[in-house]
Amino acid sequence: MARHIAHRLMISLPVLLGVLLIGFLLLQVVPTDPATVVAGPTATKAEVDAIRNDLGLNQPLWVQFGRYLGRVFQLDLGRSMISNRAVVDEIALTLWPTIELMLACLIWAVPLGITLGTLAARRRGTVIDRAIMALSVMGVSVPIFWVGLLLIQYVGGAGLLPFQGRNGPIWTADGFMSIILPSITLGAVFVGPVARMTRTSLLETLGADYVRTARAKGASDWRVTIRHALRNAMIPVVTLVGLQIGFLLGGSIVTETMFAWPGVGRMAVGAITSSDFPLAQGAILILAVGFMAINLLVDVLYAYLDPRIARG
Amino acid sequence: MTDAALPLQSQADQRAIAAIRRKNAIWRRILKDPPAAAAALFLIVIVGAALLAPWIAPFDPYSSNMRLRLCPIGGARCPDFLLGADNQGRDMVSRILFGLRATLGIGIIAVVVGGGLGAMIGLSAAYFKRLDQPLMRLVDVLLSFPSILFGLAIAAVLGTGLFSLVIALSIASVPSIARIARGAAQSIMQQEYMEAGRAVGLGDGALIWRYLALNCWPTILIYMTLQLGQAILLGAALSFLGLGAQPPTAELGSMAADGRKFMSIAPHVSTLPCAAIFLVVLAFNVLGDALRDALDPKLRQ
Repeated sequence: MARHIAHRLMISLPVLLGVLLIGFLLLQVVPTDPATVVAGPTATKAEVDAIRNDLGLNQPLWVQFGRYLGRVFQLDLGRSMISNRAVVDEIALTLWPTIELMLACLIWAVPLGITLGTLAARRRGTVIDRAIMALSVMGVSVPIFWVGLLLIQYVGGAGLLPFQGRNGPIWTADGFMSIILPSITLGAVFVGPVARMTRTSLLETLGADYVRTARAKGASDWRVTIRHALRNAMIPVVTLVGLQIGFLLGGSIVTETMFAWPGVGRMAVGAITSSDFPLAQGAILILAVGFMAINLLVDVLYAYLDPRIARG
Repeated sequence: MTDAALPLQSQADQRAIAAIRRKNAIWRRILKDPPAAAAALFLIVIVGAALLAPWIAPFDPYSSNMRLRLCPIGGARCPDFLLGADNQGRDMVSRILFGLRATLGIGIIAVVVGGGLGAMIGLSAAYFKRLDQPLMRLVDVLLSFPSILFGLAIAAVLGTGLFSLVIALSIASVPSIARIARGAAQSIMQQEYMEAGRAVGLGDGALIWRYLALNCWPTILIYMTLQLGQAILLGAALSFLGLGAQPPTAELGSMAADGRKFMSIAPHVSTLPCAAIFLVVLAFNVLGDALRDALDPKLRQ
């Protein structure tokens, strides 16, 4: 198990380096010369040159990249060009709302997806199965911003639920109300893949020998489905949910932007469209690193659920 | 023509004939599946309409008329505009036709460029065994990364616009096609004619191009089609966020974003482009599922 984790970490290392390289490049395209900015408008050319030397801007790019790495590991990601606050502080403010939104989506969308998938597999070939599968392919095909637009217009616009921003942490009444619409938007595109995967995986396990044995010993239909088949069918579903975290992240970027949800995704989009390069760099770094961390976690969880993986 | 009339019919010919029969069987299966057949028909019509947009669009999608601003569907102000007018008083039918053209075009270019690159990676991985591990590691990494992050990173480095959008979507299409190409090529690598080709002294380039690539491309092409739905959806999302196509370009995602300020007074301006994206992606996904089922004998029972 430890070897498996170490192996996964080794694989993530080059990716991390690549992500950091993109972050570094982003800071290189800043149109203004940092030395001139630091020196101020009254500085002479000699002063600017001295500062440029101090900042290490005369060094070759790879040395500068090395210094950048050093700064990142000390959590120094520079300052936002617009708010002039430290990028790390800006990220710290937005991180929890994003996590909150993703959890608020997973908590209802995954159980619903598994239930629908189980129902479809049990009633395979019937109208119920076809209806669930049709719904799930529609869920995969719908642009998430359309779901959001319709909810904002017909639920938010009617004054039923708030749709502008986050009105507090999820455990407060106001905060809870304000997360409902974003969470439905994000979950609407997530239920489909989970239902589909559960159905496929369950159909495979329902044909397995141990399921036939369970039936032969007289267990009831639903008991066989839930106790024997579903448990084993869950392994691919867990992986899928893990793999779909990336998908969820993508959806949350659009959802946050639409609902003015103060998360990392909205911050990233805002920073890019307003050319705030240091902030964009920080936001992309944290999104990528966060994503990698979740992936690693899912991988470890998977190896725990199915020991064959760690050995293979 | 009977077999007796062609006594010299080689094994390769027979294999080719069998392959054609198999392919015909796939199309027959799809035509027998009503949703998939409907999706295929719909896509043919849509692609045709998008290609012919400059000739069949009733009006110029960029000429605005402020007196017709936000005219609803069937509004008395704009009797000639079948689907009403947008916030600049432009004809929605023409905007959507041109929007489909842009959205589909971006998706197709991205999938062809990215898929082409992916196919090269996949074929190389299958042919040069030493490259297999490193190349597939790279593909795994790309595949595990959320494609929207490519969109963000590239828009941040190169600036927002169509060029960045196409690059981001191309990169997003590389990994899945690379996997498919590698799988297809690996089964071809085991064929005797690869051995034979090598024995008669063909170089790596000729073997890859003439034997490997030409035998794999039908499979790769089918998967590229499947990828198209995803590319379109992602491209529309990035444009909606303002990272791809920029107004006034008639592109469906950017049109949807442009119209959202008017959702309460003129919902058609935003809803029609959204519905168009939805229907096109849905058709690609329905057709894709049917193709996948037809190609995968395991699921046929």
